[in-house]
Amino acid sequence: MAGIDYAHRAAEIVRDAGGTIVGRTRLQKVAFFLEAAGVGFGFPFRYKHFGPYSEFLAAATQHASALRLIRETEGAATWGGHYSTYSLNAQLPTIPDATRVALARLMVNADAIELELAATAAYLALERFPEPWAETARRKPEKADAGRLERARQLYQRLRQVPTPHPLPAI
Amino acid sequence: MPKQQRIRDPLHDLVEFNIERSQVERVLWRVIQTRPFQRLRRIKQLGFSDFVYPGAAHSRLVHSVGVFHTARRLITVIEKFVPKDVRGDQALAAALLHDVGHGPFSHAFEKIGERFNLKLADHESVSDALIRDSEVTRELQEMGGGFANDVADMVSGSGHPTIYSAVVSSQFDADRLDYMRRDRLMTGTQHAGIDFEWLVENLEVGNVQHSVGDTLLAPVQTFVLGRKAIFAAEAYVLGLFQLYPTIYLHKATRGAEKIYIELLARLITLIQNGSSQRAGLPETHPLVKFARSPEDIERALALDDTVIWGALSLMAESEDECIRTLAVRLRDRKLYKSIDVRAKIAHDRSDADAVSPEADTICANIRDAVSACNDELNGRAPDAAPRILIDEVERSPYNQLTEDAGPLNQINIHTEGDRLVDLATRSNVVRELKTYKAFRVYHAEEDAEARGKITEIMNAGIQKWQA
Repeated sequence: MAGIDYAHRAAEIVRDAGGTIVGRTRLQKVAFFLEAAGVGFGFPFRYKHFGPYSEFLAAATQHASALRLIRETEGAATWGGHYSTYSLNAQLPTIPDATRVALARLMVNADAIELELAATAAYLALERFPEPWAETARRKPEKADAGRLERARQLYQRLRQVPTPHPLPAI
Repeated sequence: MPKQQRIRDPLHDLVEFNIERSQVERVLWRVIQTRPFQRLRRIKQLGFSDFVYPGAAHSRLVHSVGVFHTARRLITVIEKFVPKDVRGDQALAAALLHDVGHGPFSHAFEKIGERFNLKLADHESVSDALIRDSEVTRELQEMGGGFANDVADMVSGSGHPTIYSAVVSSQFDADRLDYMRRDRLMTGTQHAGIDFEWLVENLEVGNVQHSVGDTLLAPVQTFVLGRKAIFAAEAYVLGLFQLYPTIYLHKATRGAEKIYIELLARLITLIQNGSSQRAGLPETHPLVKFARSPEDIERALALDDTVIWGALSLMAESEDECIRTLAVRLRDRKLYKSIDVRAKIAHDRSDADAVSPEADTICANIRDAVSACNDELNGRAPDAAPRILIDEVERSPYNQLTEDAGPLNQINIHTEGDRLVDLATRSNVVRELKTYKAFRVYHAEEDAEARGKITEIMNAGIQKWQA
């Protein structure tokens, strides 16, 4: 159960990403990278099927939506499934952190699968896997093909170029 | 040694392991004899549910054996559609071992882990470690060098999803096909029955399209149902919908879990702050050792439900008021009383209103006000047991297809014209199902002040909506 302070923090992630984040997976990965870089809000992450995932963040997001700090709208994708879009819906009292904004905005328009691959490799590196990119490809073969793993690496290098309190692992 | 090993099971009757003719069954029979697996005898499948249903004291060991047995049935279904594959053996092992990492009182223990960021309170992490590197791994080695890692990948959901991973994790996985029936049987409840034989008889293997964002991925092979099983599929979904409020999320069970979580949270805090003597447990107690070295898998393996039950009588003598009070409550089943906010909304307005977005907003505001009130009440006596406990939970028995759930979470019906159609499209009943949501606030029966404040906050919150 996430308290009201965490609901505000979830809303701040949406605000710092420019006010809109498309996709639950993307929101999770943005938040993960903020934590890994030392500019997060204290959301704990574990490895799940789609890479690093925080149930606490999922609960906080739901709470933020119920408090109308953010608005979650559901769209129908061309392939028949559904996806969520999160939009900021309130003025938040805190001032955005410049590093967080720089990181979040790099991610918010990135390809969702490439962001997932990059987050997975970073998580595995932090868990001390010796070859995180190879392990990512092994765990997600259906997503890592068609040049996506290479583009995920490029995205990751762009993220690493942002100076952060905790440098992202060199992988 | 006998050619066949047998286990008598209340749900499946005879569960046989052909140790002479089947290499994997011989290996898995030995896996059952390992310490990590035998530990599951001492972890109940339903945690505190026997506070409500006294018969529901079945263990994760017997459930795991049942999942193995059910997985074997599912693999015979697969082999009607695709050639026999070594991944069938991996799926069988994964089915048996999927719960091997559970801690005492399973999911409630994981909540403590989340609060203290304890990796080895997470059953998936522990299962992964035990399958990859433990006594279990050494038994699995007979199946080949990489077998244990392949089994661990299947349990964790890593790697390309195949029809064999659907045996371990999907809408028709062996886990759910066992627990829905076993939990119903052992609790004694008479609702939520499923037509198991008809479902299995109508299972087929199909290729389901899968995408993330606008990117189309390779189709995923999974179980689908023949059209004659639509009503059985409806009952399967409805059954789970009924089990949530009546068994898994019953207010007394959840109330006991909340007390347990607060008890262990207090205990771990005291131990990690160097005040373990106040807790009432000796230095050699498994809980003290785990709190001191939560990254040590041996410490995690030393924990089970019986360790907790055994500790309660010691903690009931603790110097610490919070630990003493909560341990006695758990030991003697003196649970807090619950005030059900969503039930009150349903009573005042309607069932539909109680799960609406407006109710979510009302409940979020009530919850924040109750939390603030709890902080104020607890601030007066920081060493006492919490005056208020909050439980907010929701479960959906059937989700629409979303990017973060994936196709294995859907039930597809193989309809005329060789098309696959989502059950929610074919079934009006399933389409109309709403997510089950509960919001309860607990207080000690004798604590009139807490009850009064909760009631006041709840009524004020609901009245705002009515105004």
